[in-house]
Amino acid sequence: MRARLPQRVLPPLGFALIVLGSWYGVARHLANPQLLPSPWTVGVALVDLLGNGDMVDDILASLGHLGLGYGIGAGIGLIMAALCARFAALETAIDPLVELLRPIGAIAWIPFAILMFGVGSTVPVFLISYGAAFPIFVATLAGMHGVDRALLAAGQALGASKRMLITHVVFPAALPHVLAGARLSLGVAWAAMVAAELTGSDSGLGWRLFWYQEFFRMDRVMAVIVVIGVLGVAADALLRALRQAVVGWSPEDSNAA
Amino acid sequence: MEGLIPRIAITSLGKTWQGRRGDVEALRDINLAIGPGEFVAVVGPSGCGKSTLLSVVAGFATPTSGKVLVDGLSVDGPSPERGVMFQDYALFPWRTVADNIGFGPLARGVKRAERLEITQRLVALVGLDGFQDRYPHELSGGMRQRCALARMLANDPAVWLMDEPLAALDPQTRIVMQDELLRIWGDERPADQRRAVLFVTHGIDEAVHLSDRVVVLARRPGRVRAVIEVDLPRPRSALRSSPEAARLVAEIWALIRDEAVDAIREENG
Amino acid sequence: MRRDRWIAITTVVCIVLLWQVAISANGLHAKVPSPLGIVAAIAAHVADGSLPSALRDSFLRVAKGFAIAALIGLPVGTAMGMTPILARAVAPFLDALRSIAPIAWIPIAVLWLGVRGDAAVFIVTYAAVLPLALSAHQAVRLIDQRLLQASHALGAGWFLTLRAVIIPGSIPVLITAVRVSMGFAWGAVIAAELAVGVKIGPGQGSQGIGQMMIETLYVRRDVDTLAMCMLCVGLVSLAIDAGARGLGRRLAPWKV
Repeated sequence: MRARLPQRVLPPLGFALIVLGSWYGVARHLANPQLLPSPWTVGVALVDLLGNGDMVDDILASLGHLGLGYGIGAGIGLIMAALCARFAALETAIDPLVELLRPIGAIAWIPFAILMFGVGSTVPVFLISYGAAFPIFVATLAGMHGVDRALLAAGQALGASKRMLITHVVFPAALPHVLAGARLSLGVAWAAMVAAELTGSDSGLGWRLFWYQEFFRMDRVMAVIVVIGVLGVAADALLRALRQAVVGWSPEDSNAA
Repeated sequence: MEGLIPRIAITSLGKTWQGRRGDVEALRDINLAIGPGEFVAVVGPSGCGKSTLLSVVAGFATPTSGKVLVDGLSVDGPSPERGVMFQDYALFPWRTVADNIGFGPLARGVKRAERLEITQRLVALVGLDGFQDRYPHELSGGMRQRCALARMLANDPAVWLMDEPLAALDPQTRIVMQDELLRIWGDERPADQRRAVLFVTHGIDEAVHLSDRVVVLARRPGRVRAVIEVDLPRPRSALRSSPEAARLVAEIWALIRDEAVDAIREENG
Repeated sequence: MRRDRWIAITTVVCIVLLWQVAISANGLHAKVPSPLGIVAAIAAHVADGSLPSALRDSFLRVAKGFAIAALIGLPVGTAMGMTPILARAVAPFLDALRSIAPIAWIPIAVLWLGVRGDAAVFIVTYAAVLPLALSAHQAVRLIDQRLLQASHALGAGWFLTLRAVIIPGSIPVLITAVRVSMGFAWGAVIAAELAVGVKIGPGQGSQGIGQMMIETLYVRRDVDTLAMCMLCVGLVSLAIDAGARGLGRRLAPWKV
């Protein structure tokens, strides 16, 4: 199924050229950079912002929110899942709470978070944690419950202690699910970050979107959007690479979303 | 086999599974003794409790009545003394061939150097040289089967408990693996250098080809219907289609046929 | 299972009771929402019609945006599934677009479409169109080639093959896609309404549930109403999920 290099690279490249070309054409035709800046102006704005350090500050602020929030949220999700897998009673007790909170989604907490913490960095960190906790919790728990019983039996028959069964059978068996959950969590966290920064923060890429819009600098707005996209792709690629490195034993399904 | 102390002694064993839709009596009053170096195959129609018997002896399930002794000791839970080979091998997908084979010694706390030595010896014994570093999903069915056998042998268990270990193979590979299994078990060696084997299978010809005795189970509940001595000389590989073997297969099939038809009918209705 | 259900219900009831008692005992009424306060808020906002109307407005935006997304996404995805070269050209682009949180487009959407609600519809469309297109692509690609061969070998023409193999074959994947992208769309409409509300201040934006939350936040600072809104957002998510699952069972009884 693997196509040769030119076959893989040329079509996306061609399509990108078509998109950029039509964007340029429409922008030229409109001739109003406040309505639609051309790709060229956006590129210039991007270089400009990266050069004067503003963009770097915003990126660092956003990554700070993301790192802290994701660390807290994914950590809580992971630990709770492990505890639930170990103590069935805990799972029965918190399951209704999870089912109650999960559908509400991080976004709906924004006004409440603003009310509680005031506009500032706590709002995005809180929302990112909230959003990131659930997918990894659900996936990890499913992974731990779904361990093939034959593998547990095999471990026992080979003389593994209870502890070794957990470290050498349950953990590795659940790992692909954990990583898949981590990827889902990151996607949710990323969207929560942008939304929270837009509405309830005084720093970060999302906050900058409205800032530049105030000054009708649509070229800069677009530059920030481009950076959000690039960083999102990079973060996802990072987790994919991690999966590849850690669970290379698992038959790969690279096309699964 | 009289006069020898049996390795596996099963006396009036009964097992009832408790399920949501009532209890199911899987085994009733099973008596069976397997001597040192003896290869015993268990055959029977679907639902005769073959696999239940094996999991009780392995220690995965507790008997409802009766008892199972291995080397004079009552079975309570799985133990590395009793090697188990599972239906679909149950290889750890995240461990390479070598690491799968080394799992048992690792669990027993064997030192690294010795573990490596055991692994290498077994890789060579089952013919997996050059595949030590592959993951299970990169192996063919026959190779997985070899790996599972080596993993069981790595603990040097006193008895081998095998649950339809060849069922997932294509017919030609199965024939090859039957003879491989016999070779590794010690078909060409004197009986005192062999291990006791309890081998559950669907294949009557396989049971006749491999074993010293074939235990035929009846179904619902599982009972011993007959025990057929297989008096063919060893080594066996040349005797695959001997008239004597064919006669035994026909004899066993005659014992099972009616119940097998019933079983299929029930499964379909 | 039944015992578990009882435990779950008991847990929830206990939490709610403890919650209420803790708040009544501490006099925290204004700062933390309380169950009784939420009930009162629901009663008040249902009685004056503002809650149903806000939910309806938000949901209409989702329906509109989702319909547009389906009209664009499904044909594009199907075309990608049938033309590999197109898929290779477009898929990386769609993947990259997916990494841009839909809400990031709000400044531009407001600029182009105004604050009255069309900006939110744009965000909804953006949120739903990418998963729909990528899933339709997958759905068509994943149809077992042997089923197509079997269909032809049994003498079916292309129309019967489409009707009896390709469409039913893609339904399970598409139902999942609808479920996921509807969920995204619902989150996106709330985010868009919140962002628009924050941007232009209360009283003039789109009249959705998100706007209601912003007005509650900045004008009345009423935590009970805020909690009521969050509860409604959660309930609508659940309803969307259940609806899509039910649809899946009807349309693809051999799966799910």
